[in-house]
Formats: sequence, C-alpha cells, structure tokens
Amino acid sequence: MDLSIILTFLIFGLPLIGFPFVIGIGYIKKNYSMYLGSALIFISFLITLFLFFTYTVNGTVIQYSFNWLPSLPAIIPLGIYADNLSMIMALMVSFVGFLIILFSVGYMKEDPNRHVFFGEMVLFTSSMLGLVLSSSLIMLFIFWELVGLCSYLLIGFWYYKPNAASAAKKAFIVTRVGDVFFIAGIGAAILYSSGGALSVTGLSSIHLVWQKTIVSLLLFGGAIGKSAQFPLHVWIPDAMEGATTVSALIHAATMVTAGVYLIARTYSIFTPTSLTVVLYVGIVTIILSGLIGLVVNDIKRILAYSTIGQVGYMVAALGLGLGATSIGLSIYQLEAHAFFKALLFLTAGSILHAVMNVRDINKMGGLWKKMPITVTAMFFGALALSGFPGLAGFFSKDSIITASYGVSIFAWALLAIGGFLTALYAFRMFFKVALGKPRSNAAEHAHESKWIMLIPILVLAAFSIIFGIFQRGFYSFVEGNPVTLAFGIAPLTTLDLIPVVLMLAGMGTAYYAWGRSSTIPSTVTNGAKDFYLLVKNKFFIDVFFTNVIAERGIIGLSAVSDGFERRAIGGLVNVSGSLFQNSGKVLRKIQTGLARQYALIVLIGLILALILLRIFILAGVIH
Amino acid sequence: MTFQLSYLFLILTLVIVASIIARGKIARYLTVLFSALVFMFVVLNNMTLTNFDYGSLSILTLSFQLNFVSSVLLILISFIGVFVSLRYSSSPGFFVLLQFLLFSLIGIFTTRDFILFYIFWEMVLIPSFFAIGIWGGSNKNYAAMKFFIYTHVGSVFMLLAIFTMYFTEGASNFSMATLISGINAIPMAYQSFIIFGFLFAFLIKLPTIPLHSWLPDAYVEAPSEGTVFISALLSKMGAFGLLVIFSPIFMASSFAGSTAVPIALMALGVFSLIYSALVALYQKDLKRMMSYASIGHMSFITIAVGGFLYLNGSNPLASQLLYYGAVFQLISHGIIIAMVFALVDTLEKATGTRQIPSLGGLARKLPVLSFFILTAFLASVAIPGFSGFVGEISILLGSYAVLKYYLIFVLIGVVLTASYHVFALQRTIFGPYNEFLGDIKAKKEDLLVAILPLAIIFLLGIYPALLFHTFNIYLMPFLGGIH
Repeated sequence: MDLSIILTFLIFGLPLIGFPFVIGIGYIKKNYSMYLGSALIFISFLITLFLFFTYTVNGTVIQYSFNWLPSLPAIIPLGIYADNLSMIMALMVSFVGFLIILFSVGYMKEDPNRHVFFGEMVLFTSSMLGLVLSSSLIMLFIFWELVGLCSYLLIGFWYYKPNAASAAKKAFIVTRVGDVFFIAGIGAAILYSSGGALSVTGLSSIHLVWQKTIVSLLLFGGAIGKSAQFPLHVWIPDAMEGATTVSALIHAATMVTAGVYLIARTYSIFTPTSLTVVLYVGIVTIILSGLIGLVVNDIKRILAYSTIGQVGYMVAALGLGLGATSIGLSIYQLEAHAFFKALLFLTAGSILHAVMNVRDINKMGGLWKKMPITVTAMFFGALALSGFPGLAGFFSKDSIITASYGVSIFAWALLAIGGFLTALYAFRMFFKVALGKPRSNAAEHAHESKWIMLIPILVLAAFSIIFGIFQRGFYSFVEGNPVTLAFGIAPLTTLDLIPVVLMLAGMGTAYYAWGRSSTIPSTVTNGAKDFYLLVKNKFFIDVFFTNVIAERGIIGLSAVSDGFERRAIGGLVNVSGSLFQNSGKVLRKIQTGLARQYALIVLIGLILALILLRIFILAGVIH
Repeated sequence: MTFQLSYLFLILTLVIVASIIARGKIARYLTVLFSALVFMFVVLNNMTLTNFDYGSLSILTLSFQLNFVSSVLLILISFIGVFVSLRYSSSPGFFVLLQFLLFSLIGIFTTRDFILFYIFWEMVLIPSFFAIGIWGGSNKNYAAMKFFIYTHVGSVFMLLAIFTMYFTEGASNFSMATLISGINAIPMAYQSFIIFGFLFAFLIKLPTIPLHSWLPDAYVEAPSEGTVFISALLSKMGAFGLLVIFSPIFMASSFAGSTAVPIALMALGVFSLIYSALVALYQKDLKRMMSYASIGHMSFITIAVGGFLYLNGSNPLASQLLYYGAVFQLISHGIIIAMVFALVDTLEKATGTRQIPSLGGLARKLPVLSFFILTAFLASVAIPGFSGFVGEISILLGSYAVLKYYLIFVLIGVVLTASYHVFALQRTIFGPYNEFLGDIKAKKEDLLVAILPLAIIFLLGIYPALLFHTFNIYLMPFLGGIH
C-alpha cells in the first residue's frame, strides 16, 4: 500500500483509534486527556497539510477501496477518496477542529468529566474527517451516523440539566428523520445503478432523469436533517444547551457542513428539478432564520439561527445549478463560515465564561470595555458574518448573491434581503453585547479570558479577515483544477454593490435601533403585533413538531396502540382461552353416569353418522 | 478432520447427565463446557455446509446438516450458554434446563428430518415453561401457561402441515429434502395449507404482530436469566424456520414467483415494526419496553424474508443483501438483546425498580452501568460501530428494490425505534438524579461480564467479515438453485 493511502487513513484513523485512550488516560490524570486530545487532532491536521501540499496540489487523487463484506458476492466497498474537494474539507475540519479543542482546554478545565468530553470531541472530529474522506456512500453514512451520535452525546454532556438531556434527544431524533432519507437514497442509488453507486464515483451510472431526481432528493432529505435546513432546523437552537465549544464544533467544522458536503459530493446526480427544490429550501431557510434571529435574546441561539441562515446560503449556492461553479461558491462560503462562525462561538463562549453563563443579551452590555480583545474579535466576526466588504463573508456570500442573478431575479432578491437581515440581527446582537452600560451584575464584573482561549480566537479572527484573498484560487481548486497559487479575488461588478448597500443599511438600522437607547424596537413590535408574535413563536414550526406531531400525534397513537395491545389483542387471547375452559365446564355436564342417557347419545350419534355418510355419498365425496 | 454431529450429541447428553447427577456449582461450569463443545463443533467443521448421514430409524431419517444459518445460530447458542453461566449464579436445576434447551435447539438447527424437527421444536417448550413457571415473577403461572399453549397451537399447525406433505406426496419417510422437492406435485389446496401451517408456526415463534401476545408476558415474568435465553434464542427458531424451512418450501411450491404471500409477509413485518415501536414508546417498565424492541428487531427478518421471496432471484444484489442481512440480524439481535436484558437486571438489582418514571440521572451514581446501558441501547438502535447496524442497513438497502416508496413505512419504524430508545435514556440515565433512589451501587461482577457481549457486537460491527466469511457459497444451492 502506498504511503499516501496509509497517511490518508491515519487522518481520521488516528483520532478514531485514539479517542478511547483520551478517555482512558483521564483516569490517571484528567488534564492528560486534554493534551492528548489536542495533540491527536493537531497531528491529523499536520498529516492533512502534508498530503495536501505533496499530493493534492499536484492533482493527485488518493483513493483506495476494500470490500467490507468479502464473502458477499456483492461488493460493499469501504475506503478513502481524497480529491480536491475532500482534502480542502479535511484541511478545514482538522484546523478549525484543533483550534476549538485548544480553546476547550481553557474553557472546560473546571469540569470533572472533561476527559469524557475531550474523548467525545476527538471522536466527533475524526468522524467528520472520515466522512469527508469516504470513498463510498455506505462509509459516508457510517461516519454520518457517528457524527450524529457524537452530537447527541456532546449536546447532552451536562446530562443532569433537564434541558440538555431533552435537547440531545431532540437533536438525535430530528437528524434521524433526515438520516432515514439518506438510507433510502443509498438504497435507491444502488438499485438504479445496479450496484455501481456503492462508490461515490459510481453515481454516474444512474442514467434516467427521474431516477436521478429521486435519488438526489432523498439524499437531500438527509442533508436537510444534518445541515439544519427548513423544516428540520428545529434541533439546532435547542442544541445550544451543550457547552459553547460543542456548539462551535457542530456549527463551524462538523455536523452542519456534512449535509452541504454530501450534496457537493453527489452533485452530478442533481437534476434541474431537484436543484430547484434545493435552491428554494435554502432561500426559505435564510429568510425564516433571519427573521427569527431578530427576536431571540439568547446570544447562542442568535448564533444558531445565523448558522441556519448561512448554511442556507451554501445550500442555495448549490441549488443555483451552475455545475462546478456552484460547488466552488458553496464550499468557499462553507470554509469562510467555518472561520467566522467558530470565531463568533468562541468569543461568545469567552463572554459567557466571563459573565457566569448568563445568555440573555439584555443582561449584557458594555462588554467592549471589559473584554477588549474578545469583543473586538467578535466585532470582526460580526462584520464577516454580515459580509462587510473586505472580510471573508463578503467574498463568499456576495459572490453567491451575484451569481444567483443569472439564474433567477426572484431568488437574487430574496438572497439579497437575507443579507440585510443577517447584518441586522448580527449587529443587534453585537451592539447589545458590546455597547451601552452593563445591565447586570455579572456583566459588571466581566474580565478578559486566558491566553489559551485568546490564541484560537485571534487565529480565527485573522482568517476571517484575510480569507478573501484566496477566493479565485479556491474556486478553481475546488472545481478540480490544480492549485495555481493565484491569490486574489473574483472581479467585482456593479451588481455586487446592492448587497453591500443592503448590508450597510442593516448595520445602520441596527445601530439606530439597538446601539443606543431608542424606542424603535418597541414601536415596531407594537405596530406589527401579529407578525411579531408569529416570528417570536418561530413560525410555530417547533410547536407543530413538538406539540402536534410528537405529543398529540405520536404519543397519542402510542397510547392508542398500547390500549389496543392490552384490551383487544390481550383480551382476545384471554377470551379464547376462557372459551375453551368454559366449554369444558359445559360439556362436563354430559357425564351424568346414567346408562340410559349414554345409550341415547350413542343412538343419536349413530343416526347422525349415517346421515352424514349418506350426504357424502350423494355429494360424491365418498364412492 | 470433521467433528461428527453424533459424537457431539453423545457428549452433550453425557454432559447433561453429569449436570443432573452433580451437585452445587458444577452444573454451571458444565454449561460453559457444553457451550465450548458446541463452538468447537462449528469451528472444526470449517463453518461450511456439512452433511451428516446416519442412515434411518424406521421412518425417521437420521440426516443432519450444518449449513451457514445453523453455523451462525450454533455460535449464538454457545455464546448464550457462556454468557448466562458467567452472568447468573442460578440454581443447578436451571442450568440443567438450560443445557436441555440448548441441546434441543442444536437439534432444531441441524436436523433435516421433519419429524425430528417437530420433536426438537416441542422439546424446547419444556425447559422454557419450567424456567418461567418456577423462577418467574409475580404472575408467572399465567405467563408460563400462556407461553406454552400459545406457541403449542402454532406447532400443531406445523405438525398438520408436515403430515399433509407426507400423506399427499405418498412419501416413504420424513426427510426434508424429499418432502420439499415433491411439494409442487400435490393439489393447490394442500399446498396452501402447508404454506399456511408452517408460516403460522414460525410467525408465532418469531413473533410477528398480531401473533405476539405470549411474548411480553413471558419476557417480563421470566427470571432475568430466562428472559436472556428466551429472547436471544427462542425467537431465532421462528427466524430459522422462515429462512431455512419456509423459504425453500415456498420456492419449491407452485406459489414460487407469486407475490401475495411475500407481500403479506412484508406488510406484517412493517406493521410489526411500527406497532411494536408505538407500544414500546408508551411502556413504563424497561423490561416490557425492550420486549417490544425485540419484536421490532425480529420484524426486520420478516421484511427480509418477504422481500427475498418477492424478488425470487430477479435482483441478485438485493436478494443477497436481504438474506445476509437477515442472517446477520439473527446473531446480532441475539447478543444485543441478551446484553440489554442482563443490564436491565443489573439496574433492577441496584435500584430496586425498573419502572422508568422511578429512575433518572443514573449517570451520576452509576456511571459504568449507565455507559453500558447507553451502548446497549445505541446498539439496539443500530448505530454504526455495533453489529445491529450491519444487519439493519443490509436489509434496508436491499428492501428498497422491493418496497420502493413503501420503504417510507419501514423508515418511520426506524425513527420511532430510535425515539423510544432515546426517550427512555433521557428519563433513566440522563436528567437530574432521582434522590428517592438513595445511595445505590451496581454489582461489579455483573458489569464485568457485560464487557463480553459489548466486545462481540463491537467487533462484528466494525469487521462483519469475521462472521460473514462463514457465510459461504453453499447458500445458493442450498435454497434450491433459485439464483
């Protein structure tokens, strides 16, 4: 086996094999597991970096498959497939993952179960690395499930909090709904390609358009669940009950990007019909999350809704159907988002650390003075999130908006409005956190975090600012060309101005409404009360899923089934049992002991037998 | 060298006799020996198809066969034998009954004669009946009688079907090979009855809803060690029947290629899956909940057999996935459910209850037990990395070729299955600690034994070839050249 293949396996294999040791070493000394965990992911990052610059930049695709079930005549391949797309994802996942784990070393150092936490974080990152390097849909699904499992464990890490336990359950079940679509998609792909589609490169052997549409829509169903798109986005805001670093990992490097990666990986089978679905699911998600983000007060939930919206841009970019260009646009947004979203979550985590985990932004304020480095970093994060010219988010998001103009003006308008909403809620959050006077005792006594938490923040802030210069090279790289090392950005047109104007308008509005004391928010709220309530209740989607489907529908059906089970089925069995017992009681009475009665019964029996015989002969049964 | 089955039977009989005579703990140790012998038998016979012919005794043909399904099941038998005797220190009488049961099961899984098959089939009832009736819970008499009578009704129909085959074909013995190959020559009405008779018996044993009501009572009322072997092994009788007896009969009959029976089977399977999940969601007793989980797992086998018969060899890839998936599900379900019930017992011993509402936050006081329960439940949900995943994903992928859009119902079942597991986890091991439980401790030895099944399901989950390489080329000719 070639060295490159072994090394590629090691990228995810090392942390995968290492994670039990991370937990195990914690029983010797808790802190060792923090160091071992960070080291494992760092080594993965180094290997990825090495492979990237030795092989991938030269256009070498590392691939290797073996048969999972050797004795089956059918071949179920597992293995690795590392092309440009996979490697750029692996690079991002291991890098951002490492920074987040490094931050966790400072963030979780008081937790008594931190060895378990680091073990799970390592497993989470390695599963995601395995996911992006998989050579077959089956292997991709295996890691897909492991990613889901880790999110379940990590969201519920503080299991003694009822909310955390409940949020973990919700995340597991909601993503499971998506996962079963994925299973159906693999099943359909295998059937329609006569088994070829078991490897990611074999999807091209599906030829008929309707078959492609079915397979792609089913796979997209899986992506909706993992990438938290409408209508399965409901798990993500609740998942904020977990530790902030977990949220950072879920939102930036792993989990939500898995769905986008899946679509990009299987992009060849997306037909125009399914692409339209993809585009509008993305757009609906952007608008909904943008509106909800405006009325939420929990700092982490605002970030959660912003993730939903930004992933919506990635999905919408894929839905534009521009071939390899779409993949480039989407993955570039994915990576830029990974940097600034990790940055935002880590700064939020740093702030929460300082204000004793009070998550309500109404209870913060004036933190810019208290924690200058963190909040300045957050400022750049918010700028990047809104797409301020010059920062990463601008190049990634505005390119998508501009590209959509050629596809559909309607879509373009909605995407641009989404940009306005993004700037609005991002700076609503930022101004409420940073400006004004401290509005609670905790915010009064906030102070700057330790260096081990600041270093990852500063690195991520740097990337959020400068990532734009890679734009052109990135696009051509993801599209499958070897690296040209062309720094620089895609040429701008006048069309690019409109989103910028909208974004600045959003920022300005946010300043006027929330950056200083103002009555604008309450006026708007009172003016459009019905609409406000609709948004405040998250368009009743959560309520619908929880109260109608889960509690009334499933639990109700379950109660009915249980009643049916005990009364009808159980009753029927008991009735038939007692029927035989009672018939025994009745027939027992024939046993009178009177010879005359017995003789009579014998006579009746004889006559009946003769009549039956006669009937049978007449009917021809007996000859 | 081959290890003759006759020797195995002889030695096992001696072991059973020794267990009866010996006193104290010896019966328990002999059960381990018993299991080791069975395992050795499978390994030494190279895990391929081996026939053992010992002539005939009057109308009985003493012909036996170790095929790939029975190899897998014999491995499961030896695992359960070892697991139960390591995990439970029951009375010597129990271990004698257990050995007797394992012996009968080996007979069922190897014999190629219908009368012997029936005899072994009925022999299984005796130890199970006594295990429930003697060591069971508060409602043991009711559960034992219900179990006995209910499954016996199924067997009667099977016996009638066997006799119908024998007399209408005018055969001279009860050899399976002869009777099955001659089935398509007899009138359709008789064929229908034969199909019905076998199906009825196997679906009760599996069990499939609505023929399942013996199961929750038997599982809940049986002592924990009884639940372990009943759930892990007795349901495999029905599955074995469907895979190795019923499928060839159906394929050989004039019904081969018709779709009514396969569709009915799949519908029953899907219904069982959803219904059992819905009922399980509402249970408060962990043991009862997991009894329904067991029904849900077995319904995958009904779906697989239905799909396999429906395809009738027309889509080799899907057929293979379905059949292999079903066989893999046999062993993986056996081990997972044994682990689950053993852990529920540990939990009950530690906390004094297995009612979900009385538990909560156990992860704080019993971290190791909680870890095992978590992994066992995740294995039961078929998370990758555990053996349950391999069987379930093979069946799901294969059944798309048959069910197409109707697969959605299976998938609903899968989501519901995940839901009640996770819901139960949330209320037992997660959440705030229920202070009413006081200071609790789990038995260390019990936790130590739980490593064994966990290791096996984990190994099989990441490297299924470990077992799958036993599944050899002999499957196809064995099923009568349907491919």
